[in-house]
Amino acid sequence: MRVEEVMIPIGSFPVVTKKTILKEALTEMGEANLGLVCIINEKQELLGLITDGDLRRKLLKVQKPFSALFIDDALIHAKQNPITCRPGDNLKEVVQLMGEKQIWDLPVVEEENKLVGLLHLHPAVKKVLEG
Amino acid sequence: MEQKIVTVGYGDVKKVEIGGTLPLAFVGGPCAIENRDHALFMAESIAEICEKLDIPWIYKSCYDKDCRSSPKSFHGVGIDEGLKILSEVRETFKVPVVSDFSDASWAAATGEVCDMVQVPAYLCRQTSILRAAAATGRPILLKKGQFMSPWNMKNSCRKLEAFGNDQIILADRGTFMGYNMLVNDMTCFPIMRYTGYPVCYDATHSIQLPTSMGNISGGQREFIPYLVRSAVANGINLLFMETHDNPSKALSDANTVLDIKYLENVLYQAKKVHEMRLELFNELGPDNVHPTIE
Repeated sequence: MRVEEVMIPIGSFPVVTKKTILKEALTEMGEANLGLVCIINEKQELLGLITDGDLRRKLLKVQKPFSALFIDDALIHAKQNPITCRPGDNLKEVVQLMGEKQIWDLPVVEEENKLVGLLHLHPAVKKVLEG
Repeated sequence: MEQKIVTVGYGDVKKVEIGGTLPLAFVGGPCAIENRDHALFMAESIAEICEKLDIPWIYKSCYDKDCRSSPKSFHGVGIDEGLKILSEVRETFKVPVVSDFSDASWAAATGEVCDMVQVPAYLCRQTSILRAAAATGRPILLKKGQFMSPWNMKNSCRKLEAFGNDQIILADRGTFMGYNMLVNDMTCFPIMRYTGYPVCYDATHSIQLPTSMGNISGGQREFIPYLVRSAVANGINLLFMETHDNPSKALSDANTVLDIKYLENVLYQAKKVHEMRLELFNELGPDNVHPTIE
């Protein structure tokens, strides 16, 4: 079983560019009903990601008004160099890694960090259990 | 964050480079072009002061004051006559010139003559004005609207970038506090600088009391040096001040323009504070006290 068999392909989960403001990134997250948004550059390379948890912590920390926070580039609030996996990685091993790191979603990248998909924990576990 | 350097000046004028750790530059002149002789006289007077203090400078004066409170107020000499005069100032003193424009259809002609075009504060988010400013290909002095937060100026920058022009200088000219009153929020400079563009302080409009005198604006000129010192210490790259040889007779902004007899004094202080700030930066590095992005 490989990651690519169950990953959500790019185009079907929230992805924004490096000049997207935080408010637009949050809108993308809300519309997709996923707790994460990936940020890429013009070469589709993964620059960072923002999760619901990152936002929760940010809201408790940030002291500026929401209007100022919303217009910040999403990238400056993103987790940069996040953990990723490859399409050809063994699914069971990756699910184990997600469990250890308590990760719900894992970006899937090819060479040069090119984003190609997203591994969501639920379908991944389901696939592993089905064998 | 890396800050863009904006160069103002084409042809054989003395180019002014603005941004980063470059010397503080000055932009100034009478608010409105009153007539040819007065424009040349003012340019000569300012040039003398700036040369003495070794401050790079740009001549500013407008041909059409479209935001006057009263229909009886002087509206300007008009675009044709005004640009002709600005062109003569430019040629005579080899100094870059800037004027604002309040109508998108005036932008192209303004950009043909002027080394920089100015977007008026009241119009700072008007898409048609920003599109026209960008299309001139000249650097753009973008005033922050008195009704705008400094962080929301990023939207106007993004519009200009989308229209193909990223030669932007962001200027503060005060923020409305209720009616007929402006205040200066000095945090606007680091916030606007975070866009990556140089920042400017417009001292003489900041002390304006908008339309406080019924059908014209008042102003508290006595605060100019205090605010200039504060703004320069807060990292501005360009200082904007309108000046006049006889303020009470000035045809525009008579209550806010700086009497030219004080110009040298204020510019001297600004230059000194700027140099002191750069010395501190060389010694301590950029500001890194409780950075907001941690």
